[in-house]
Amino acid sequence: MTAGISLGVLLVVLGSSIAVAAGMAMVGLILNEAYSPMPLSRMMGELAWATTSNFILTAIPFYIMFGEILLRSGVAERMYNALVQWLSWLPGGLMHSNIGSCALFGSVSGSSVATAATIGVVAMGEIDKHKYNERLFLGTLAAGGTLGILIPPSINMIIYGVMTDTSIPKLYLAGFLPGFILTVLFSLTVLIACLWKPRWGGRRIETSWQERWRTLPDLLPPLVLLLIVIGAIFFGFATATESAAVGILGALVIAAWRGRLSLAMLRAVCEGTVHTTAMVAAILVGAFFLNIVIQTIGLTQQLSQLIRAYELTPAQVLGAVIFLYLVLGTFMEELSMMISTIPITTPLVLQAGYDPVWFGVLLVLLIQTAMISPPFGINIFVIQGIRGRGQLVDVEVGSAPFVIALLVMIALICAYPGIVMWAPRAFG
Amino acid sequence: MKRLQEIAEGISHAGAIVGGALLLVAALTICVDIFLRYAFSLTIGGADDLSGYALAISSAWGFSLALLRRSHIRIDTVYVRVKSRAARAALDLLSLGCLGLFGGLVAWHGWGVLSLSWASNSHSQSAIEMPLIYPQGLWFAGLAFFVMVAVLLVARAVRALIAGRPDELFRLIGSKSAVDEAEEEIKSIEHAMEEGKTRGRT
Repeated sequence: MTAGISLGVLLVVLGSSIAVAAGMAMVGLILNEAYSPMPLSRMMGELAWATTSNFILTAIPFYIMFGEILLRSGVAERMYNALVQWLSWLPGGLMHSNIGSCALFGSVSGSSVATAATIGVVAMGEIDKHKYNERLFLGTLAAGGTLGILIPPSINMIIYGVMTDTSIPKLYLAGFLPGFILTVLFSLTVLIACLWKPRWGGRRIETSWQERWRTLPDLLPPLVLLLIVIGAIFFGFATATESAAVGILGALVIAAWRGRLSLAMLRAVCEGTVHTTAMVAAILVGAFFLNIVIQTIGLTQQLSQLIRAYELTPAQVLGAVIFLYLVLGTFMEELSMMISTIPITTPLVLQAGYDPVWFGVLLVLLIQTAMISPPFGINIFVIQGIRGRGQLVDVEVGSAPFVIALLVMIALICAYPGIVMWAPRAFG
Repeated sequence: MKRLQEIAEGISHAGAIVGGALLLVAALTICVDIFLRYAFSLTIGGADDLSGYALAISSAWGFSLALLRRSHIRIDTVYVRVKSRAARAALDLLSLGCLGLFGGLVAWHGWGVLSLSWASNSHSQSAIEMPLIYPQGLWFAGLAFFVMVAVLLVARAVRALIAGRPDELFRLIGSKSAVDEAEEEIKSIEHAMEEGKTRGRT
């Protein structure tokens, strides 16, 4: 009962377009007033300080800053052009390079919007040049971009890890194989579409082995950064925060090497980082407060009683949660959706007996699906914004096949949890 | 009051750059720390505390920047379907009021955290033993500034409403549509790439 009311109040408050951070705090205050005699608002000061000075969460601004520097370092364009040489022989040509670039960029970036926007800006000019099916081309960019949060590093995984007390290195390890499989599934989607309708695949791009070897060094900077940022975590040399800090240094070195380091650039980097960080931090403070209220009023125990009372099987609970996210994902902003629901859905799924690392990866896949499902899908807006012509519906239709690929991936990890759990068990 | 807002924007902007610089310095300190740890088995210690403080201070100062740029995330599914401009203005004021209240509560109790550190002379746990009142003071200042900016915006929005200039209210505190948000993100990315390119050539 309380769980239903809590979720209802949350949806009404957030739905009334109150800023999400404040909305969650208000829901916390309302639930506190209704169900607990203790005035928990007194904890807000301590909570805000403890949350924002948390060393693990420092990884968030570091990854944001890392991305901001990388964006200005010219790595993305060169990487894209090199991948064009290596991947465009496949039916579907550049569309495979789009997905490959997104996967590679996603493995150094922790954000899906940044990945879609960066690769989108680089790739957009190519649609007309090679006469691709515009919708499918746009779909590869919107969908490919979502790989940014599945392939580590991932800002969303850090937030999930901190909110649910789950190991972030384990989440990162767990994300790798699903990220790789999903990349292949996306490419297969393009391949099938272009074998079915060869016209969609555009004109062949002339490449040569000579060109391929010449552009190969352009793939090095992202690969080296990938090794530093991810390798350090996997082999236990550094924590997520430390490896993000090393990533910043690496990105600065690359920017300097390309002659793009300057005081003006650093100022823009600092400002952009703080602007984005503050938005995330505000929501986190609100969510942590709501989380404490929910724990204090005993919602978690009520949820497990609920499961027992209705004799729900684990699969039914999981099915309900997946359904909830697929529905919410169509109209809610993705980051807010994730942060505001974690305090309610995670205890429910864990009570049903699922592993927190596995659910973290499932949650990321559901968020990815939300990012490309209309009417509200942030990556759809980003790609349409870069395109700057035509109708939004083109991107929505183009993304549809990739939504199916994502649903297949979700079904895969539900049927074979080993895909997710293999790496954290073997290395963790 | 417009002048006041320009001043507030200037301060937020400066606060964000300083906050970002703190984060950058913290990241580089961590790199030095890691290097010393593996090269000489030494630790300077305190790098993790410093980066935590950098995050707390920069996000407290970033709150006001995000408020002035209307970029605190709002879910506008219902908002965009509300046709009445009066109702929209009411929702905007409600959202701003809640943000101000939230910021006010955090700042109010944040003051408690600061004065407790002052009274008990708390120091950070690591080797640097920095008195906590320094980072907490800067953090609290950022929160207090956020509340002032929120009050200023409420005053300006209400005045615009009374004077019958709803467009001004929407410009000040209206919900940005997701499409606007996406466009801004893209502009900043395109700008960043262009900026890099031209500098790369020279």
